[in-house]
Amino acid sequence: MSKINNKSDEQKSAEADVDSFRKELGPFVVAAEKTRMAMVFTDANDPDNPIIFANLSFLSLTGYDREEVLGQSFRSLMARGASPEALVQLEAAFAGRFDQDLDLHYRRKDGSEFWADVFISPVCEESGKVVQHFISLVDLTKGKQEQAHSKMLIEELNHRVKNTLSTVQSIAWHALRSSSDPEVIRESIESRIFALSRSHDLLTRENWQGAGLLDLVNAALEPFGVANGRAERFEIVGQNTRLPPKATLALGIAIHELATNAVKYGAFSNETGSIHITWAIEPTPAMNRLILSWREKDGPPVAAPVRKGFGSQVIERGLAHELEGTVHLEYKADGLVCTIDIPAPQAAHDG
Amino acid sequence: MILMIIEDMLNNLGCASVTVAATVDQAIAHVDAKVFDAALLDVNLNGINSYPVADALAARGVPFVFSTGYSVNGLREDYRDRPVLTKPYPYRDFVTTLTRLFASSSQ
Repeated sequence: MSKINNKSDEQKSAEADVDSFRKELGPFVVAAEKTRMAMVFTDANDPDNPIIFANLSFLSLTGYDREEVLGQSFRSLMARGASPEALVQLEAAFAGRFDQDLDLHYRRKDGSEFWADVFISPVCEESGKVVQHFISLVDLTKGKQEQAHSKMLIEELNHRVKNTLSTVQSIAWHALRSSSDPEVIRESIESRIFALSRSHDLLTRENWQGAGLLDLVNAALEPFGVANGRAERFEIVGQNTRLPPKATLALGIAIHELATNAVKYGAFSNETGSIHITWAIEPTPAMNRLILSWREKDGPPVAAPVRKGFGSQVIERGLAHELEGTVHLEYKADGLVCTIDIPAPQAAHDG
Repeated sequence: MILMIIEDMLNNLGCASVTVAATVDQAIAHVDAKVFDAALLDVNLNGINSYPVADALAARGVPFVFSTGYSVNGLREDYRDRPVLTKPYPYRDFVTTLTRLFASSSQ
């Protein structure tokens, strides 16, 4: 920049060049000034290729003032952030040995980064001598960011699909071990896959950012008549607390298992039983906890099962493991009580 | 659910003691506190990569296998030669990989 501050002869001559430029090309200079494509002309008579014209778009792309770029070598301006290979290509382009587009990574004056597609073409005299270089730059930053974002989304999708397939494998594995009756196995596999599917629907509706707990409870209990059929036998009290995707999936399947159990052995295995589901956030010194209680009433007398089925395993182990929580199943004589205690969700972000 | 099937597969294999950790911190606490014959390590724990756990296991000479839903070449350079189970994995592959791992730990 010392060149500019001192107003050297070179600088003065570059400024004179720009003036003659404006006079000769009047309307084109105006067009070049106003276009959204970043444009630069450099002086090919000088091996440094100093910039003799830079339009507004170029200045806003790079963050420099006009005085800061005029007279500067284009190469040294681009050297901020460009890779050595890109600079070699840039050099070749000035020498007329590289006529493809150049993807340049560059840093603005303020240090922020951008990607530009750079095209350099010679401007020749009648004799064929190259007198100037015309350089246009297209900002690729947005495209590059979108590319990176899509790549991230595809990886994330793949990760989730693989986890889902593993879950389905787990469902099939346990169904096959718990019964030899094809009808029972089919029902066991189907109902759990549909439970998983309902949680997915909820998450998809919110771009996989998470879901509300009240929505989740209602979705999971939909096949059990929460909206019609058994509506009066449910009591659901709680806020629509936001849950991250992982908690949504784990709680969705747990609620499904609890309801399945209620139909088989609990409050929904007779005509009078009811289920009360309540939850609240409870502050503790270390962190807030989400405590959900599932309480069955007026069902047939309850006794602890001799052997734990898949359902209670999913509830106890699955939730405890995956959500770093505790699950307490209490086989009270007047009805099953399940207490789920997990860390209260904070920012909804996980895989 | 996925942890459960893994636990059941391990029990099927005859593993006497299975310890489960859901987070990097939990896992490192277990690695510090106990002696393990082998470990199965999910590359992504709650959106956080589990390399600190791999480092802790490697430092103690505990053989381990990665489990991942991502492609194998997504693994960190220095762990590319470690065994990997790509989700979902068939029981047979699980048995082969784990058996090899236990064999290497008893040497």
